[in-house]
Amino acid sequence: MLPIYSKNNIPKAKLIWDLPLRLFHWSLVIIIIVTTITGYLLEYWWLYIHIYAGYILICLLSFRLIWGVIGSYYSRFDSFPLSRLMLIKHLKNIYNGKSKQYTGHNPVGAWVIIILLSILILLLITGLLVWGGVENNGPLANIIGYQTGLLNKDIHEALSAILMGMIAIHIMGILIETIYFKHPLIKSMITGKKTFRNNKITVMPYHSLYGGIVFLCIALALFYWVNISTAKSIDIKANSIYQQECGDCHTPHHPSLRTAENWQSIMTGLTNHYGENANLNAATTAKITQYLLQNNANIFDTKAAHEIGRNNTITMRMTDTKYWQKKHKKIKTEDFSISTVGSKINCNACHNDADTGHFSSAEIKLPQGIKP
Amino acid sequence: MKKLLITMISIFPLTLPAPIWASSLLDQYAYQAKQEFPDFKGFSTKDGEVFFLKNHNMGKIATPACTSCHGESPKQIGSTRAGKTIAPLAISISPQRYMDKAKVEKWFNRNCNSILGRACTVIEKGNFITFMQSQ
Repeated sequence: MLPIYSKNNIPKAKLIWDLPLRLFHWSLVIIIIVTTITGYLLEYWWLYIHIYAGYILICLLSFRLIWGVIGSYYSRFDSFPLSRLMLIKHLKNIYNGKSKQYTGHNPVGAWVIIILLSILILLLITGLLVWGGVENNGPLANIIGYQTGLLNKDIHEALSAILMGMIAIHIMGILIETIYFKHPLIKSMITGKKTFRNNKITVMPYHSLYGGIVFLCIALALFYWVNISTAKSIDIKANSIYQQECGDCHTPHHPSLRTAENWQSIMTGLTNHYGENANLNAATTAKITQYLLQNNANIFDTKAAHEIGRNNTITMRMTDTKYWQKKHKKIKTEDFSISTVGSKINCNACHNDADTGHFSSAEIKLPQGIKP
Repeated sequence: MKKLLITMISIFPLTLPAPIWASSLLDQYAYQAKQEFPDFKGFSTKDGEVFFLKNHNMGKIATPACTSCHGESPKQIGSTRAGKTIAPLAISISPQRYMDKAKVEKWFNRNCNSILGRACTVIEKGNFITFMQSQ
């Protein structure tokens, strides 16, 4: 059946995807590439890039959710053809080698988008929980405990695998539509235009302005939220007597790295401190012991306190804990003795935040000459 | 007794021309040495050097000599067994080294026991600092 052309329905390229939506889409592509590479392929110390990308992703997704309500017609969720009937019909059509061209998203595409957005929201929530609970950083650092963070780490990883699958489905769908059915979806997500016999104008210039304002507000709100919260910590540099007496021979270790029991044994056995006479006078010993016991591993809810600090070792050495060994197994023995490191117990050589006891993955920086 | 003390203190600057920075600690060691060893004639740079370089091997296995941690020359940077650097012992490089008596005593107490298996005599300590002063 040939379409009947009249003055009003001559096929014309019309703007259906507003500029904010298109910018959202392609920014999302870049951010997901960044988070995927930093999350799956790179070493721990790229975590900050992953996190910053995550913060941008929070802005982008919050924007998309708001834009789904107040954006131009085809950007709004209420224009999505989500009914079960339409979905089944579209799937049947595709099976039979046909695909009806929709002005906005087609039903399968719309569902894929809803699922993608949902997974991304869950990834952001779990990501923030890990960042706060495990790494003691970000806006949730003081609210989320270590165990909650750890649990969410597994969920975050599972969700990212699902996301990869959904992205594969999304790209496959676009390729089928573009190559097989000749619907230029990629081009229209760039130019915003589709050719239709429909005179309805849905995108107005003010949409770009509104979109910009909404995004800016979200970004500022997030910036504020991220920056009001800083993790509680004690810096061992604040205790000068500990820093001075123990620091004469080795980097003083954060009190959260050993149990009260181990600290007690270490402090009563200073005359033979790993083969060294590290004797102190009674007053100094008492002061340092008190400081260590008051801040032992059970007081802190950090990754290092849970995985290393709370485990007693016979030698009292933290380097004898399973977790420490697992985390350092890629570092060659001889690398610990290079001049910038000195020995295994010089945590500060690689962990920039060792003095605060946080030991965030993001704060690892290997000195020159050491390769993971 | 008081007269003797005054005489001793007044002749020390002549027998030990030590710079002002170390005079108090070395004076105290010298005074103590005179008390403990009546035939004490003053500290010796040479004895201090021999003591510093000698492989005593009488204390803990890991630390047979001063040089185990401080290095072969007082002018070089040392390293603790834990890998932390130790500032050079020579006064010319570390002028603040022997200013705090409590700290000096703490380290003599620890290290003499580690290296010699006993406390150092006041003469050994005085010779040591006199040697470091010459460096």
